[in-house]
Amino acid sequence: MSENAYTLTLSGVTKSFDEFTAVDDLSLRVRPGRIFGLIGPNGAGKTTTIRMIVNITAPDEGRIELFGHEMTTELQDRIGYLPEERGLYKKMKVIDQLRFFGELKNVKGKRADEAIDRWLERVKLTEWKTKKAMELSKGMQQKIQFIAAVMHDPDLMILDEPFSGLDPVAQELLKEVVLELKAEGKTIIFSTHQMEMAERICDDICMINKSRKVLDGSLRQIKSSFGRNAVALRAEGGEAVLEDKSLVVNVERHSDEVEVLLAQGADAQSLLRRLLEAGAKVGKFELVEPSLNDIFIAKVEESE
Amino acid sequence: MTKFLAVVKREYLTRVRTKMFIVFTILGPLMIFLFTVGPALIAGIKTGATRVAIIDRTEGEKMYGRVRDSILKKDDGEGVAAQQQKQQQNANAATEMPGARRVPAGTADASYVVEQASLGGRSVEEVSGELNEKVRRNELDGYVILPPDILQDGEVKFYARNVGDMFTRGQLRDRISRAVRDQRMDEEKIPADLIDRINKPVNMTAINSESGKQESEGSFFFVLIVGFLIYIMIIMYGQVILAAVVEEKETRIAEMLFSSVRSFPLLLGKLIGVSLVALTQFVIWGLAFGAVAVWVIPQLAQSGANVSLPSVPPVFFLYFFLFFLLGYFVYATLYALVGSVVTTTQEGGQLAMPILFMLIIGFYFAFPVIRSPNSSLTFWVSMFPFFSPITMIVRIVTQTPPLWQILLSLVIGYGTVVLLMWLAARIYRTGMLMYGKRATIPEILRWIRQT
Repeated sequence: MSENAYTLTLSGVTKSFDEFTAVDDLSLRVRPGRIFGLIGPNGAGKTTTIRMIVNITAPDEGRIELFGHEMTTELQDRIGYLPEERGLYKKMKVIDQLRFFGELKNVKGKRADEAIDRWLERVKLTEWKTKKAMELSKGMQQKIQFIAAVMHDPDLMILDEPFSGLDPVAQELLKEVVLELKAEGKTIIFSTHQMEMAERICDDICMINKSRKVLDGSLRQIKSSFGRNAVALRAEGGEAVLEDKSLVVNVERHSDEVEVLLAQGADAQSLLRRLLEAGAKVGKFELVEPSLNDIFIAKVEESE
Repeated sequence: MTKFLAVVKREYLTRVRTKMFIVFTILGPLMIFLFTVGPALIAGIKTGATRVAIIDRTEGEKMYGRVRDSILKKDDGEGVAAQQQKQQQNANAATEMPGARRVPAGTADASYVVEQASLGGRSVEEVSGELNEKVRRNELDGYVILPPDILQDGEVKFYARNVGDMFTRGQLRDRISRAVRDQRMDEEKIPADLIDRINKPVNMTAINSESGKQESEGSFFFVLIVGFLIYIMIIMYGQVILAAVVEEKETRIAEMLFSSVRSFPLLLGKLIGVSLVALTQFVIWGLAFGAVAVWVIPQLAQSGANVSLPSVPPVFFLYFFLFFLLGYFVYATLYALVGSVVTTTQEGGQLAMPILFMLIIGFYFAFPVIRSPNSSLTFWVSMFPFFSPITMIVRIVTQTPPLWQILLSLVIGYGTVVLLMWLAARIYRTGMLMYGKRATIPEILRWIRQT
């Protein structure tokens, strides 16, 4: 397999802790230069999968190939990892911490200092360079952790819940940075349980639930294969109709409308008829693409 | 290798720069002096004279005078100074006052006040009652009843509120015995100067068999200081390791680290980095004491003060270095192991208690080692790797054992270090990523078995 085909390949990877199987027979492929979303609820096995990818733990079964090679300590340097559980040395200065994390990735001296300055500038924390970590707010610390993960210019970046704990402005900034990195040709694995966030930035996704893969593929493909079986609805009355499980799988309430995911085999016309029969006043009835959340729920229901 | 050095460098630099390091470097020697020499000085402090009354029931109350004199004199050979003065006195007695009334040997001891409680026709019970009352009113600390048949095998009775004071009890018994012995010899018509010559103690000077130099009381303290220094430094830097490991676990930095460097170089880098901090401290202290030895001591000696440094062969410093590092690595590895299975520093402190106990026991073994450096107990405790860092160095200072024993102790010790590190690295690798709860023993055993 040439280096260009896939950045990362997992085949039949299984990892158990005692009786509990955290990751069960997982296979996935990450294409270079794309943002790959590893999504699923908390406890689905995302972090365990990532720990195996970054070589913190080894799989019990299966193979992991990075850039076409079996995982080695040298390859670790080509990965940038921002863990979900993250921290900094409280009493160490920002600059010293970043230099240390750089050295752990074999980036030293002038090269490291330049990268640190550039990144601090980019995330607007230049004036905090010589402050101790404990003086920084949580959001600022998170930006420093992000720099620690990317300052060595890795080819593959793994970001585990990078947006949690950030205010909207910082979230937007981070999103911009991630898209810039993608434009530079970096591959990014983005793990989250927030489907909306994944929907906004991912090219490809892999959904996992209860240690197993539910589905994977490019986001566009998945959405189109699901068809337009969701309805954006604004209506008064007719609540009983939405509770009919033969017709409706899920109802997601937004501020002034609901998104209704139709059950398999049910069609939108019969939903509209039933609503009108029930005396509902329909203000909006529009067929829409299902959200990732809808797709996830549908898939989970299907597999159970 | 670069990564390993990065870990070592970080551990070293962040710690050497702290205020704590600077403060302890300055105050450490003072603290160690207080902890070792201090207790001895405190134990020597007398809290006022002991007031004793004597009821003499012997015929004609003939024993009182002798017993009083004896109680008020120090024992033979009690302290170096007393001995020297005594020799002086004996010399005087022999040359200047031949045939004069025999002065009991010894120097005056102001720690006792003796008075006579005469019966004056009253019964013993009556006088005892009176004295008991005085003891109760704290006008007296105790009283002694000398039986009429004391010169045969009569039993002396000592009444006091604080009969638990073994020191006073023992001293009184010895001094009354001395008086009785002298009286018996007197009654056997043995001439006083003969008694003096018979009683004359031998003079002894302690000379180190290797250096050939005289040893003073200072050597004992020197041994104690060396043992205590190793003990306190192991505790201190063990705690540093514990805190460092717990910090990385608590803040979840471990996960970042493990994605860049394997757990073993990380653990080793941490242990070595902190050991360099301790060594830096020793070097600073060594240079400071060297300066004192070179400049201050000769000046003091010139101005007439009686100061001297214990003689230390250069190879001692090599042994000190080897055994300190041995102790440090044995205990710091244990502390690291504990740190990786707990969730907070407090929890770590609790779980580390057995480690601390082991260290304390090791320190207490220093005393039997000093007393009998050739016993089999001494041999075994200086081979046991958890005690040898303290006991062996104490042994080397007290009486250097054969080289093979020192080497064997080092081999056993460093072998243990390798074993412990192997064990700790396995537990550390998994433990550092387990959040939320303290690991159980079966879990830890499973981690060790995992490859």
